[in-house]
Amino acid sequence: MFLARRNLFQDKTRLALSIGGVALAVMLILIMDGFLAGMNRQITSYLDHSEGSIIVAQKGISNLLGATSLLPPRIESDAEAVDGVSEAIPILSQFIILDLHEKKQPVYLIGYDTEQGGGPWEIAEGRAPQTDDEVILDRVLAQRHDLALDDHIEVMGREFTIVGLSKGTTSWMTSFLFMRKSAAESLLRAPGAVSFLLVEPVSGQEGSEVVNRLNDIEGVNVLTKDEMKVNDIKLFARIFSAPLRLMIAIAFLVGIMVVGLVIYTATIERQREYGVLKAIGSSNRVLYGVVTAQALFASLAGSLTGILFAYGAADLIMALRPQFLIVFNPADMAWALAAGLGMALAAALFPARVIAGLAPAEVFRK
Amino acid sequence: MIRLAFRNLFQNRTRLAISVGGVSLALLLILALDAIFTGVERQTTAFIDNSGADIFVAQKDVRNMHMASSSLPVTAIDEVKAIEGVEEVTAILYTGNMIVVGEERTLAYIIGLPEDAEMGVPWKIASGKEIPEAGEAIIDERVAQKSGIEIGDTVEILAREFKVVGFSEETTNIVNSIAFISASDFQAQRGNSGVVSYLLVRVKPGVGIEAVVSRIEQEVDGVTALPRASFSGQEARVVKDMSTDVLAIMNSIGVLIGLAVMALTVYTAVLSRRREFGVLKALGARNGHLYQAVLAQALMSVLLGFTIGLAFTLLISAVIPRLGLSMTLEISRASLIKVGIVSLVITAFSAILPIRQIAGLDPAIVFRGK
Repeated sequence: MFLARRNLFQDKTRLALSIGGVALAVMLILIMDGFLAGMNRQITSYLDHSEGSIIVAQKGISNLLGATSLLPPRIESDAEAVDGVSEAIPILSQFIILDLHEKKQPVYLIGYDTEQGGGPWEIAEGRAPQTDDEVILDRVLAQRHDLALDDHIEVMGREFTIVGLSKGTTSWMTSFLFMRKSAAESLLRAPGAVSFLLVEPVSGQEGSEVVNRLNDIEGVNVLTKDEMKVNDIKLFARIFSAPLRLMIAIAFLVGIMVVGLVIYTATIERQREYGVLKAIGSSNRVLYGVVTAQALFASLAGSLTGILFAYGAADLIMALRPQFLIVFNPADMAWALAAGLGMALAAALFPARVIAGLAPAEVFRK
Repeated sequence: MIRLAFRNLFQNRTRLAISVGGVSLALLLILALDAIFTGVERQTTAFIDNSGADIFVAQKDVRNMHMASSSLPVTAIDEVKAIEGVEEVTAILYTGNMIVVGEERTLAYIIGLPEDAEMGVPWKIASGKEIPEAGEAIIDERVAQKSGIEIGDTVEILAREFKVVGFSEETTNIVNSIAFISASDFQAQRGNSGVVSYLLVRVKPGVGIEAVVSRIEQEVDGVTALPRASFSGQEARVVKDMSTDVLAIMNSIGVLIGLAVMALTVYTAVLSRRREFGVLKALGARNGHLYQAVLAQALMSVLLGFTIGLAFTLLISAVIPRLGLSMTLEISRASLIKVGIVSLVITAFSAILPIRQIAGLDPAIVFRGK
């Protein structure tokens, strides 16, 4: 162990570079993970906070954020007539693109009835829309485009006044935009249209039974909110998981290479000393132990630094680009340490091979 | 000095492999991501580019299709038709929905085509019909393969069943695909017969497109008209604007990784040759010469890494379509230039540490027997 420590600390710059390399790799893995976790939270934010525990969607639609849903006419009264339904809140929703400062900004437009609900759950500033030419904009989106209360924005050819700024309604891809349902109907030229119903069962009623009863209505697909959240996360995960996994794999490989390289050169430089140890009777296993201990130390120090880096980088990213949410779970930290450990073991392979192939006589040759 | 760099580089194969591998991975990260997004841009504009229309007319202030919604009153069709210079108008209906086969759901943009549609029809048919009639649908070939659908099978779109009568090609991307149904079915399902989504306009031969665009915007209320190329450019911008921030973060991470790996390898390479550099110094080699050797060494590994990274990106972009994945990678010139610059930056920075080391090297070191 003593040998391992001496070997490692002998060249401080190299040690710093190797710890830095592993730290970068671990940071990358953590940021990716945290980004995914944050995205999942942002994706389900509306479902997490809106009224009701059951969602009625168009037949064939099982996501909130995937496809445009359009329910059959008179769905509201049909649903309310179902046994066990306490309230059915209609919303009309649609992805639209805003042109803000020459930038295309996709937003998820939600038309809601201000009396019944389905709108923003936290208004940071201002109030709910009272007329059909008023909207509530996501606060982060407003900040990014220097928009404030009482400013005007153009939405699909019509001018609206911003009367409220909502909190917790942003994501890096889309933000939410709320207006009265009647305003959305006329904007989308779809009078009376309903995309989803947010249904609250009568208290004491079994949710799954109400879901089954609602599913008897023609042309609808009824899910619990939890099911829909899972579907939305799955949908986005399918789009983003491949690139994200690619990056995590690359980060992991880089980590192995960095630690491997450092331990390898440290071993090569000390080749003669290892030869002496072998010549005086040390078994290969002891020498492997020395090499592995070096790799372990560099990786662990790197992983811990990486965790610190990740927190710093996440704060920096979120400060500069508030639309990104990066969330770390304790499990991620364990993963990062495990990844560091994995890097160390894989990295110890190169130098261990060098030592194994070392002839004890080597030391006497020079 | 170049020879020295060359020898230094190739003498230790493992180290070379690690440094070149590290740089190529880092550059691959940047190149592949760029290629994915360029591919997505190309795929999202495919429908517009191949629509055959000269002009797209949408609801006022709507300038693209992806994640957008446009509703025009049907009266707009005749109004546009009446405009001087317009030869043909095809009104399409459009919404985002799902293609459902059993438990399998695929996101798709649904296009409702009139029976006599001249524009906006699937441009490349793998098999089957080109324009769907009532009760029929044309879906993307890859989606069909993935869900195990044959011609004549039924799929569920917009909450009703359709018989698949054709397979189209080039109508899918990483996020969703395009499916075509008849306008009458579309309207029946949406329950709103007074509205269409976009008007695809062809102008008479010899008539200036720009002139017709401005006439449409002047004479028809509540519409935005754009030449096809601008409309397609706006569509690509949606993807670009959404991905810029993500790309910037990923790119900087790629640069950092490349830097770390290169700095470490060049540093250790120089470190292990410290004695040789000392000898050279003792023999009278000037620092400038030694710097050149270090820089040349770094440049060579980075160039090798760049070539390998590019080769891998090309390999990935060739393999992915064969795997049946709905992703296309396309390497753009801008991305190549960017990665080239990044490589040079990595070279320059990774040489700083070793150069400082050499500068501080005492020629006498060689005599000390260290």
